[in-house]
Amino acid sequence: MAAETSHENREIVAIRRADGESRTLAASLPRLVLDARRIAANVIHGLHGRRRAGAGESFWQYRRFVSGEPSQNVDWRRSARDDHLYVREQEWEAAHTIWLWPDRSPSMAFASKGARDSKLERGLIVTFALAELLVSGGERVGIPGLMTPTASRNVIDKMAQAMLHDDAVRASLPPSFVPSALAEIVVLSDFWSPMSEIRTMLAGLSASGAHGTLIQVVDPAEETFPYAGRIEFVEPEGFGVITAGRAESWAGDYVARVALHRDEIRSETNRLDWLFSTHTTSRSAAELLLFLHSGMMAAKGSARGSTVKAGRSA
Amino acid sequence: MMAGIPLSFAQPLLLLGLLSLPVLWWLLRVMPPRPRRIEFPPTRLLFDIRPREETPSRTPWWLTALRLAAAALVILAAAGPIWNPQTGVGGSNAPLVILLDDGWSAAASWDTRIRAADELIANADNDRRGVALVPLSEPARDITLMPAGTARVALRQISPKPHSIDRVDTLGALDRFLKATGDAEIAWLSDGVDTGRGAEFVENLAKTIGDRKLTLFEGGAAPAQALVAAENAAAKMTVKVLRTTGGVAAGVVRAIDAKGSPIGEARYAFGMQDRESEAAFDLPVELRNDISRLEISGERSAGAVQLLDKRWRRRAVGVVTGATSDTAQPLLASTFYLTRALSPFADVRLGDRGAPQQVIAQFLDQRLPMIVLADVGTLSPEIRERLNAWIDQGGVLIRFAGPRLAQADDDLVPVKLRRGGRTLGGSLTWEKPQHLASFAADAPFAGLAVPKDVTVNRQVLAEPDAVLATKTWASLEDGTPLVTGEHRGRGIVSLFHVGADSRWSDLPMSGSFVEMLRRLVDMSGYTTKPGAGVAAEATNVETVAPLRTLDGFGAFGPPPSAAKPMPADYRDRATAEHPPGFYGPADGPIAVNTLASADRIAPLDTSSLRAQRASYTNAEPRDLRGILLSSSLVLFLIDAVVVAMLGAGLAALWRRRTAAATVLLALILVAASIVPSPTRAQSNDEFAIKAVSQTRLAYVVTGNADVDSIVKAGMAGLTLFLAQRTALETGDPVGIDPTKDELAFFPLIYWPVVPGAPKPPQDAINRIAAYMKQGGTVLFDTRDAVEAPPGENGASQTPGMRTLREILSSLDVPELEPVPREHVLTKTFYLLRDFPGRFTSGQTWVETLPREDDDDAASRPARGGDGVSPIIITSNDLAGAWAHRPDGQPMLPLTPNEPRQREFAFRSGVNIVMYILTGNYKADLVHMPALLERLGQ
Repeated sequence: MAAETSHENREIVAIRRADGESRTLAASLPRLVLDARRIAANVIHGLHGRRRAGAGESFWQYRRFVSGEPSQNVDWRRSARDDHLYVREQEWEAAHTIWLWPDRSPSMAFASKGARDSKLERGLIVTFALAELLVSGGERVGIPGLMTPTASRNVIDKMAQAMLHDDAVRASLPPSFVPSALAEIVVLSDFWSPMSEIRTMLAGLSASGAHGTLIQVVDPAEETFPYAGRIEFVEPEGFGVITAGRAESWAGDYVARVALHRDEIRSETNRLDWLFSTHTTSRSAAELLLFLHSGMMAAKGSARGSTVKAGRSA
Repeated sequence: MMAGIPLSFAQPLLLLGLLSLPVLWWLLRVMPPRPRRIEFPPTRLLFDIRPREETPSRTPWWLTALRLAAAALVILAAAGPIWNPQTGVGGSNAPLVILLDDGWSAAASWDTRIRAADELIANADNDRRGVALVPLSEPARDITLMPAGTARVALRQISPKPHSIDRVDTLGALDRFLKATGDAEIAWLSDGVDTGRGAEFVENLAKTIGDRKLTLFEGGAAPAQALVAAENAAAKMTVKVLRTTGGVAAGVVRAIDAKGSPIGEARYAFGMQDRESEAAFDLPVELRNDISRLEISGERSAGAVQLLDKRWRRRAVGVVTGATSDTAQPLLASTFYLTRALSPFADVRLGDRGAPQQVIAQFLDQRLPMIVLADVGTLSPEIRERLNAWIDQGGVLIRFAGPRLAQADDDLVPVKLRRGGRTLGGSLTWEKPQHLASFAADAPFAGLAVPKDVTVNRQVLAEPDAVLATKTWASLEDGTPLVTGEHRGRGIVSLFHVGADSRWSDLPMSGSFVEMLRRLVDMSGYTTKPGAGVAAEATNVETVAPLRTLDGFGAFGPPPSAAKPMPADYRDRATAEHPPGFYGPADGPIAVNTLASADRIAPLDTSSLRAQRASYTNAEPRDLRGILLSSSLVLFLIDAVVVAMLGAGLAALWRRRTAAATVLLALILVAASIVPSPTRAQSNDEFAIKAVSQTRLAYVVTGNADVDSIVKAGMAGLTLFLAQRTALETGDPVGIDPTKDELAFFPLIYWPVVPGAPKPPQDAINRIAAYMKQGGTVLFDTRDAVEAPPGENGASQTPGMRTLREILSSLDVPELEPVPREHVLTKTFYLLRDFPGRFTSGQTWVETLPREDDDDAASRPARGGDGVSPIIITSNDLAGAWAHRPDGQPMLPLTPNEPRQREFAFRSGVNIVMYILTGNYKADLVHMPALLERLGQ
């Protein structure tokens, strides 16, 4: 119980810090917003209502049926009113819902010596900043299982409040839910869960056709394995203990194993046309935020097939 | 016994266990320590890594070394180490020759030497070997082989000799013995002190023993120390402490009187390299004269004892001069030469404060052993009788010639002096000054070097008669006597035919004069033979029998049978024939010491000797098992603690410790900043440095802001004026607080009296009194002359004056008077009639000068006391007149503003400062023309 309490405390501190830092981060990125707008104006599928007919969910106008069109486009209810055939057009919009998932499990609280932020803090900072940016761009942002999508201006406060009052078990991966096909999902986690769990999650989330981005937030120590001597490694979420007699000799194997793990995740995301990238807490949060935003735009604009490699991935 | 280290093992074979240490090393290295525990999120990935080979991490090397050391200690302890094991020479059947140093230098550690010799004999006994015991002090003794039991008895009978031994003399007997015996093994128990011919002995010993086995015992025993050259100097009794080794050491020399009761102790200390130190007894001369024995406390040897006889006593010598007590030229007076010549070895009592007759009577009452009459002429018959009786009882009377003696006629001279109507009062004048020719061989001055540079211009001449030659102690080139003397009763009368000053000869300026007087002082108090003339004493030198002698340990005992009487003038070091001790009569014995005052001891250099070295084991054998086992236990405990700490996370502990250290450091810093004393002391130093780096005028800060600012400006104005008009450039004036600040740095303190101000505390008053006693001057200024002009006799009753009276009431103030017209204060720089300040009506008071009633007082232009008046009182507000604003304008108006009043106020200040700084020199200066005229004669 004590461990949980301490983790909660750590989470509260992290949320408070992330609250403030994410605002400054978001405020310090006007250029980002401008870029986003510029990019949005140039692409067909924007995130905003286009005031034009196009692919969308809400009604835009009825127009006369043009011969040659597939007949299935005819809106028969409207056409029944008079002698013409009408086609119902939706407003061209991508008023997407963005689902953000910051991993708040105990393993995220890890911070090696010399790291500026813990993974949890970094994840929350980026989540909040991204939410702020997206909301200011007109999107609706939600956290699966915790907060319904909202376009409220004070989305950070809402998120923080929701997290603070959340008494559920902190899961590493987002719960299984069915997002709309146009929804965007961003998962910030360390993804140290077994591959099977990750695969299950991805299958569930992508079943409805939604797209998303996986960001693996890792500590520098988790990249480089800077340990030597006789060390007992403990999994923070209670999944076991292993003792390394000479930890320095494990480093090579470990790095290879991490690379393999990432390759597996990447192959899965590639298959689903999702994005996958890694972020080390020793690097700046703005870098990740920029990557996320631009990646999201680029993904909208370009063909879904390509893997966007923006920002630095380890 | 390991080489050089007194260590041996009961079961050395167990030491082979040390060979197992490398194995242990390997074993300890593979034993893993407790792992560190680290939370690591990707641990589940680690599960997938199967370690290729699980090599345990190594124990830190220092931990292994610690454990190995503990194991090695256990093994060592099991082998049964023994410190200081029994030493012994052995392994052959040849007879054992033991050479034993038995001089005084061996006495201090004699027991150690005997024990070492005992062990050697015991070992020889075990091996059934004969033993020859050779004490190196007895060259005459034949060397014989004896069984060990006999040798042991013989060893007990040997005791250290109280004198220095000459080892070389024994070599002949040793050589004979070795040639007769053939094979032999030699052990030399050396004391490591070279008392002369040490190198020769070492060289010849190597030749004598050839290739026989030699074991040399040295070191391990306390090195010998010795006392030499005791000297009863003018202020204290000093004695030199000698030693042969280095190292820092200290000790105590004790002084003991003839009855054996202690008189005093003096410490001495050796530096790292010192071979020689000095102990000084700072005692009154009467006590010092009672010292008959000095010894190094805790050093039992004859060399550590210095016996003192009458020669070391400081005698009081009365010096009477017939000259007037006019000390106008003290450096030319005869008493000056005599005092300087006598004071190194005698206490000089000068009788220049009264008539010679009175002084002589006084000296006789004090029963001084020696009186010097420098050119004392006629003596009253009564005094002559008393002097004669005193000489009969042993007094020594030394007379110096001079104009008065030449005129007088008395019998207190050894020879008859030639009288006559010569122009120079019976003295003769040569055209060519005469040199000193010789000292009579049988007289007290025998053996002194004849100085070549002494010339005699005038002297009194003796009537030539038959006994003149025998009475002559020193003569000039033409044969006339320079010093004559004779024994009268138990005393001596001697006459220097020249004066004790430099007018007749330059003998008093020569070193020989000091030596001659020393011989004479030596004679005072122990001239023994009643009625014996100098000549009689000289022809057959008196021999004195030994009274009490020292044994080798420095203890008094009856003289040994070998001790022989010695000449009374024996001054050399002790020998076997003349062992150290007291010789002669019990009431005035003569001391003979183990070492002469010029002797020094050196370490014996045996490095050229091819020998096995051994050391005296002055400690019991010690079992080291306990120490080793307990230290190994301690090491294991440390190991346990270290392991526990490594397991608990050294890093966390370290962090906590640094935090604690930071807190501690902060506390120390805070404490250091709270403690104020160093800064306070520093500010005091700064004040002192500021005050003495330049002459500064000082003023008392009253606490009244108006007054203080005026006074400060005034003192600054005076300083400026002084710099403009005189050669005196003083520093910025200093405001002081007499309760706190040191006053002694300032020649003048200006004290403005504020009416109604509280009286300073008694402590401050005492400081002011001390300041005035030490020569400082305080200028009190009541600054209120205008309010109440002085009444009768200059006395005034203004509030300021009343406050001043209160201040002065508890101060030791001399009698005061208004500054007289001829006071030097009126003439020190400017010629002034009075001392105006802002007011002119006030009176200035100084210390009353002693009235001179003689006639020329009126004609003298200035009068000055011997010192400067410690106090000056005025009410004219001098500082108010001196004060200027920064723009140069006067600060205060003057009353009644006479023309040039301010100028005269400044002049008053200049005169006061000059008076204080130059004192009565200025008073003398007004006599300059007269002085020049007198010097020109």
